Amino acid sequence: MIVGKQKPIAEIKEIISPYKKVLVLGCGTCVKTCFAGGEDEVATLSSALRLSCKKEGKDIYIEELTVERQCEDEFIREAAIAISKNSAVLSLACGAGVQAIARRFGDVPVLPGVNTTFIGVLEKQGLFTEECLGCGDCKLAAFGGICPVTRCAKKLQNGPCGGSQNGICEVNPDTECAWQQIITRLGNLGQLDNLKKYNPPKDWRPSHAGGPRKLVREDHFI
Amino acid sequence: MKKKLKPKITVFHCINAINNCESLPIPYKDTFKLKSVKMACSSMVKDAFLLRAFEAGSDAVIVFVCPEGQCRYVEGNIRAKNRVNWVKNLLDEIEIGGRRLSIHNIANGDTEAAVRIIRQVLADINELGPNPARH
Amino acid sequence: MKSESLSNLQSILDKGDFAVTSECGPPRGADPEIIRKKGELLKGYVDAVNVTDNQTAIVRMSSIAACAHLVQLGLEPVMQMVTRDRNRIALQSDILGAYSLGIKNILCLSGDHQTFGSQPDAMNVFDIDSMNLVNMVKNMKTEGKDMSGFDLKSPPKMFIGAAANPFADPFEYRIIRLAKKIDAGADFIQTQCVYNMDRFKEWMRLAREEGLTEKTHILAGVTPLKSERMAKYMASKVAGMDVPESLIKRMGDVPKEKAAEEGIRICVETIAGLREIKGVHGIHIMAIEWEEKVGPIVEAAGLSPRPQAA
Ligand code: SF4
Ligand code: SF4
Repeated sequence: MIVGKQKPIAEIKEIISPYKKVLVLGCGTCVKTCFAGGEDEVATLSSALRLSCKKEGKDIYIEELTVERQCEDEFIREAAIAISKNSAVLSLACGAGVQAIARRFGDVPVLPGVNTTFIGVLEKQGLFTEECLGCGDCKLAAFGGICPVTRCAKKLQNGPCGGSQNGICEVNPDTECAWQQIITRLGNLGQLDNLKKYNPPKDWRPSHAGGPRKLVREDHFI
Repeated sequence: MKKKLKPKITVFHCINAINNCESLPIPYKDTFKLKSVKMACSSMVKDAFLLRAFEAGSDAVIVFVCPEGQCRYVEGNIRAKNRVNWVKNLLDEIEIGGRRLSIHNIANGDTEAAVRIIRQVLADINELGPNPARH
Repeated sequence: MKSESLSNLQSILDKGDFAVTSECGPPRGADPEIIRKKGELLKGYVDAVNVTDNQTAIVRMSSIAACAHLVQLGLEPVMQMVTRDRNRIALQSDILGAYSLGIKNILCLSGDHQTFGSQPDAMNVFDIDSMNLVNMVKNMKTEGKDMSGFDLKSPPKMFIGAAANPFADPFEYRIIRLAKKIDAGADFIQTQCVYNMDRFKEWMRLAREEGLTEKTHILAGVTPLKSERMAKYMASKVAGMDVPESLIKRMGDVPKEKAAEEGIRICVETIAGLREIKGVHGIHIMAIEWEEKVGPIVEAAGLSPRPQAA
């Protein structure tokens, strides 16, 4: 899933300040799961914004709506009427959702209410961790299913670096060293020989280094 | 001169902690307004509900939950506590004041404690002044 | 250009002499005098001088430029190069440039993470890792090709170094990694500073068992301690550093004004111990902002004068 975090209210207030009527638009998929932009967060943020503006004597009208997914046109269209009644949209979707709204509604300002942070998993209740950078050339098979591109702070393909100690990454005491994890896991899998293999420089062309990417599935064109 | 507003309190309470807040024996009942919201379990309280109570003009919001370890639904009161703390931060962030929101553990039917807490909150409102978003 | 001749460091190691290298950090400014002064302090006592590359992710005079200043002084530099700041295109081009300036040794590193430095808001590169960098420089030397496979005119023939930390975790894996670096092309290895001699000996034993000491030159790192505080700091704050309690105590047991002297004595003893270990072909003295002590240490260790390059 895509993980994101709601922006601080002060920043949101700043970016919506030119507008009198704002639609707070949630997304019921990823950002709902990470408590950044689902229906509940739309309600809470809208209420907080109204209270804050009222306290400051500012006149603002805030409408609330959440669609199933902001990254799919079929669902976005459901927001058309609400969008037409407002002067701006504050989208609580990930960056892709914000842009999908902007693309569909060419003359409405669309503002981001969430900082999109990473592709990750819900490790346990309330804890989300980053797992994949979408490099476009997945080599997890060689690393026991643990991604050094994403989870090693130096993206080392032939790690670990000299700073790995007691399983902790030198860069952040709250982060496990991905390479320690890879080694432990390869040991459990009886694949320690993988460690002896030289991993050549990564081909970054399939990654974002090659510019924005596209997936084409002609079999699904109509 | 502006007429002094009567202080307004909203109480969210779990029916297992306090059955009915409106009938509590609080002195000087006509000097303030008390709205109560009954819940089957305190975990039903949501961030937005608490904020909406302030939007509706409450000067303070109280949440009554069962003592820890005594929630009929195991951890409803703990969830409620975490949410209240979250919303308190939010209230500070928007400068309404986190102090206006509080959560208290009440043993089943301990009306005396409930009355004491409500009186304390009324005293706090006196000190804090009215909800700044109540015009 | 006589860059076809071997580096001084390589010829000393190839001859089987015990090598001495040291380190010199470029200034946070553009004054070449600072680097020359440091160089003068080391001249005659060491076979080559490592020049750090924006160490601890703090912006300093570039390693290449500082190396070139040393070359002019008649000192032989080991250019450190990290993959943190440059992608493969920049790395290769800088290696070509460095070699053209008479720089013949390179130490390939990944680099300290930028969050440790003065500009933690920077983006890092890490296009390739240190292992890949070693291999790239080796292919330039042995195949005469850049990474695209292009035949270089006058390919650089660097003497290639890599770092190893015998004290980092996981311990058993450290030898596999060392073997991998040697296979990738590391002619010499400079280690993290040795304070825990037992652990270092164990690591060397494993390296010998794997036949690695036959394939590369291991230079053991040493850093003289200045004070008990420094010892404690190294023990607790520096990632991948192993300073035994007994050493910290030894530093603490002498009066403060004698601490530096004691630190140097420990360093000299360590060097003596290291020379006894089979497979250790030299030492690398990292006297951070204490370059004036390198000469006395080398003398006290009986490693002076240095052999003349062939
Ligand atoms: S190797 Fe690439 S695709 Fe696979 S998990 Fe890592 S970043 Fe994602
Ligand atoms: S400590 Fe481990 S995860 Fe952290 S940078 Fe080094 S190898 Fe990568």
